[in-house]
Amino acid sequence: MADNYTTPLARAARIMEIIIPCYMFGKSWGISDSKTVDLFRAMFPSFLVNMAEFFKGIMHTDNANIQRFFSTVSGAFVGFMVVAILALVMHLVLRDRKYLDTLRFTSVSLIPIAVLNGTLSHAIKTLVENMGTQTPDALYASTVSSSQGNLALDGLFYLTAMWFLARRTGVKRSKRFGVVCVGIAFMAVYIGIGLMISPAEWQALLPKLQQALATH
Amino acid sequence: MAGASAQTAAGVSHTLKGEHTMKIPAQRFININKYAITAAIIVYLYGTFISKILQPGILFALAAGFFCLFHKEYFLSRIKLAAHIWAIPIVVGLFTYPMLMEKQPSGQNGFYFFLTFIISFIPYILLITGKTVEALAKKERLGIISFRIMVQLAVLLIYAATTSYSFIYGSNVALFFWGMFHVLTVAILPFLFGRVLCGWLCPNAVLQDALFKNLTYKRPIPTLPRAIDEQSHSSAMYISGEIDKNAPYFPFTLLLSWFPMFFAETVFDLTGVLEYPVYFMYGLYLGSLLLPWRKMCTHFCWLSSYRGLCAQGSIWRIRYNRSKCKFCKKCQAEEACPFYIDIRNQDNEMPATCCLCFSCMEACPFDGVITFKRAPEDKARVKAIGKKAA
Repeated sequence: MADNYTTPLARAARIMEIIIPCYMFGKSWGISDSKTVDLFRAMFPSFLVNMAEFFKGIMHTDNANIQRFFSTVSGAFVGFMVVAILALVMHLVLRDRKYLDTLRFTSVSLIPIAVLNGTLSHAIKTLVENMGTQTPDALYASTVSSSQGNLALDGLFYLTAMWFLARRTGVKRSKRFGVVCVGIAFMAVYIGIGLMISPAEWQALLPKLQQALATH
Repeated sequence: MAGASAQTAAGVSHTLKGEHTMKIPAQRFININKYAITAAIIVYLYGTFISKILQPGILFALAAGFFCLFHKEYFLSRIKLAAHIWAIPIVVGLFTYPMLMEKQPSGQNGFYFFLTFIISFIPYILLITGKTVEALAKKERLGIISFRIMVQLAVLLIYAATTSYSFIYGSNVALFFWGMFHVLTVAILPFLFGRVLCGWLCPNAVLQDALFKNLTYKRPIPTLPRAIDEQSHSSAMYISGEIDKNAPYFPFTLLLSWFPMFFAETVFDLTGVLEYPVYFMYGLYLGSLLLPWRKMCTHFCWLSSYRGLCAQGSIWRIRYNRSKCKFCKKCQAEEACPFYIDIRNQDNEMPATCCLCFSCMEACPFDGVITFKRAPEDKARVKAIGKKAA
């Protein structure tokens, strides 16, 4: 069985398993534009969005489509860095495989959080599109507050996926608890450093957002 | 086939190696003029790609009609009932006509609506006029399969209705459908019901079953390169039980197919575009014409990947009891399984690839071989294997 892993397709699959979830995970941090960048900074940890903005600044073009591509690649690059750091911590817990395999494990298990990030960025898009059609409070409730459920659900399934993936790849039960603890710590840090827009942030952002939308 | 079989007017007496004798009720298969079907497909494709005004809801309902036609076993011998069920698109058409006209009043729309209305009759007429033939049944229809078919059709019609409504009124309700679909099938279902998405819920899978399963035309790509087919033996998504920590989790082709999807979405900002999921579905659907049935799902559908990986610990599983198997080969992969799993090669239980369609369970003429519950002797054997591995 192990021989199959050295086939060109198997080797390529192992690399893609790192790239694709990282892309999914991080792309939301890079897709903001001048109208929505403040909202993205409030919705996601601001330094991640700022890093993505920095890379976007390096790869700049006037073509809107290509710029969108560069934007997501910038976000994906930041996503890769976050996953690489998280994998380092995970590697200390797992210790039974190469770093590359830990990185794959970390990256694939983050797919529910990538889905969460996508949902949150979609919530921002909906919020901007519906500005003016509802009162700001109602808009906040229907887009941002309703995403709290997704946060809880995707967080739960991130931990579940991690547990099952660890079990499948032969991680001992005692170590699996360690793996899940890393996941819980990651979620705590991710939320702690500024995931989701708080009501106070929303109140502060509202005039800026209205002004930005009026000028565009 | 090992053994003898005899057919009677009342039922089929099926004997295998003289060990088991079972009565299987006779079943009537529908035999439909192949030219009528070909013509219907051409009209269907024309409606989809040339005259975009045709209501997608009607088209999907039509596809579901074909689903019933080609799956000869569906609705058993009650083809008249099946015909009446497919009068639903006609009724839907009548109700949606005022909506369409209110939104886009023009003579051309009236013409296309009339065309839609007429082609809605095609499955109805085919079923009513189809001749039936007595044929050897696999086994009496399992209740769970009837239930599965109902769920498939219900999800397909919800999809059709939301898409139709969105097209007519320009609302985002179809995107809401896809949003909920993804959240449910990524987050909840794989852990509980495995890859139930692929067997029960996916509209594309239903359409593939509808049009391609029983078509015997020569596929433009009848076989895939060996390297691609062999991926299924070396990735965690397909292997049951514990895997090597170095093993890839997903097949390469499947991962590769994520890229065009993501890049197109990003570069052309397609996330909120209503037509995008519909035309994407049709793209997949036409791509499936080139390959053997469900090979598209097996090797190129990115939706199945994460679901397959997480399904390993799912609660609802099919068990194969080797101790009771008569090795009659009725369940052999090419005939029964959408994912080409040969259940006889599964020593323990079905791999995560299993989409819980229960086709193998129905294909097996014996009781207790493919079940939900492991037989005591197999339980002991599996336990012994586990101990040996530890």
